[in-house]
Amino acid sequence: MAERDPSAQFGGPFTNSTIPPPRTRIFKIIVIGDSGVGKTCLTYRFCAGKFPEKTEATIGVDFREKLVEIDGESIKIQLWDTAGQERFRKSMVQHYYRNVHAVVFIYDVTNHASFRSLPAWIEECKQHALGSEVPRILVGNKCDLQDSVQVGTDEAQHFADAHCMPLFETSAKSPNSPGTHHNSDHVEAIFMTVAHKLKSQKPLVLSQLPKGSEGTTALTGRIEGDNTAATWGSCGSC
Amino acid sequence: MEKPRRDGASSPRNGRQDGDTRRKRKTADISQALSANPVDVATLRRMAISEGGLLTDEIRCQVWPRLLNVAPHLLDQDPETVERENNKDYNQVLLDVQRSLRRFPPGMPDEQREGLQEELIDIILRVLKRNPQLHYYQGYHDIVVTFLLVVGERMATALVEKLSTHHLRDFMDPTMDNTKHILNYLMPIIERVNPEVHDFMQQAEVGTVFALSWLITWFGHVLSDFRHVVRLYDFFLACHPLMPIYFAAVIVLHREEEVLECECDMAMVHHLLSQIPQDLPYETLISRAGDLFVQFPPSELAREAAAHESMAASTFKDFELASTQQRPDSVLRRRRRQKQAALESSTVSPVGAVSQPSTARRFMRLAVMGLTVALGAAALAVVNTALEWAPKLDLFP
Repeated sequence: MAERDPSAQFGGPFTNSTIPPPRTRIFKIIVIGDSGVGKTCLTYRFCAGKFPEKTEATIGVDFREKLVEIDGESIKIQLWDTAGQERFRKSMVQHYYRNVHAVVFIYDVTNHASFRSLPAWIEECKQHALGSEVPRILVGNKCDLQDSVQVGTDEAQHFADAHCMPLFETSAKSPNSPGTHHNSDHVEAIFMTVAHKLKSQKPLVLSQLPKGSEGTTALTGRIEGDNTAATWGSCGSC
Repeated sequence: MEKPRRDGASSPRNGRQDGDTRRKRKTADISQALSANPVDVATLRRMAISEGGLLTDEIRCQVWPRLLNVAPHLLDQDPETVERENNKDYNQVLLDVQRSLRRFPPGMPDEQREGLQEELIDIILRVLKRNPQLHYYQGYHDIVVTFLLVVGERMATALVEKLSTHHLRDFMDPTMDNTKHILNYLMPIIERVNPEVHDFMQQAEVGTVFALSWLITWFGHVLSDFRHVVRLYDFFLACHPLMPIYFAAVIVLHREEEVLECECDMAMVHHLLSQIPQDLPYETLISRAGDLFVQFPPSELAREAAAHESMAASTFKDFELASTQQRPDSVLRRRRRQKQAALESSTVSPVGAVSQPSTARRFMRLAVMGLTVALGAAALAVVNTALEWAPKLDLFP
């Protein structure tokens, strides 16, 4: 799982200025949204490949990762699963916004309040100074519960468009069972879409840079986003 | 590099019979302390801290109220019913309680568990309703469920209410700023015992959020074996409210080797530390936490903890405390100096040394710590310290 190569961590700031050794790139993605929308289930589903049997309230921040291969390059996707309760956000979650490469907003399609909270979540991102080049996606979860849907696709799509985000509707629970919901996206596909988007951006970070070279770690600020992916569109207002 | 020390975890016990004898004796001591007039709370504290804690839930039902100084008449009150509609906390509490399946004993029939979950919701809402200054946090339910399972709904309500207005008070502020401040004690403790681990963690910029759920749930959220949870509750109920942070530090220090072998990266170290091993040598760690508390009392760490603060205005009472704690502190320091002097004049192997200390001074300190591992002294000191702090903290009014 974890790379164990501590020797590489302590090189001076100049060791990396030559050709860096081939390393696994890391995409750091933060997952946010109201309490109970399914952040833990979705991240677990992606990383472990199955729906977790019993999930509990996330206290603080949990971390999961998965190694994927994109165009022959293996990339580590790190998902930071954050507590939904508002009181944790200000003091506790701050730290985990640093050097984030992408943001996944999640709401629960059966809970309209969780959808109405989205502007607040977007505002939180803004306050953490995430630039507009950091890709964001919107995910409506629990769409297997068709009978209790409170947030229609049209309404969600409208919101997503207004904020230049692609929208996905999915269910962490039964994304693969055929016939449950014909429009449902696979959890894997959603996160892989983000990963592809990130990979297409350049120049991206190496996993870790030596400490002390702060200027280069804040790479999100100098990514020149290639806004070619249709889903992310080119939104004048953003 | 040394091999990882497995102190306590597999040390051979002195045989079953011996254990039984000790249990019996402890049970008798507890009964005696309970029947004394007035109740001998100091002995009860010592029993709750020392090896094995309070042994059984039956004993806990009698001793926990004493440790929290809850008046007996409060334990007999019929719990009032709480309105759930239009309750600002109900939705969040319901959400968290519904998901708390793992807190209940495996094999418990669904019906029974669901009944307890209802009681759990009621206790939480009741305490919040009666104390509008308290704010619910995710994890509070992990604390309350522990009390519910050990002492039942009626007594749990009284105990949790007391706990919430004392030990847990800081976690229940409108914001988590004070909780964050308490987490800031973690690194100074680690630094004093093992600067290498401290520096490594600083370099990884891991922060302290990995210990957040430990602190605010008293480890109820992360330990899967309920017996371990209640053993820790015995300990924490008998000690100063900051003891859980000392215990958190002790866990990190116990995992020194793993930490130092980890990739020096925030994600990796956070991941490693937040996965708490389930086979910790609890008794050893408890006595070590007690030792650290004696050696590095909160008042001594307060300034550093505050320096970790990013926000200027901390409302935490440490500075106030620090100024009122001159007496116990100076006593402890004097004691420590005497011990160190004694050590310097003799050759003692550092039995309790946690790691390779970088300076002779630290080496000496750790040796002192090793000597005090003989729990009696440490436990007593913790008790005394806690009691002397009491008036200010209003812990035992």
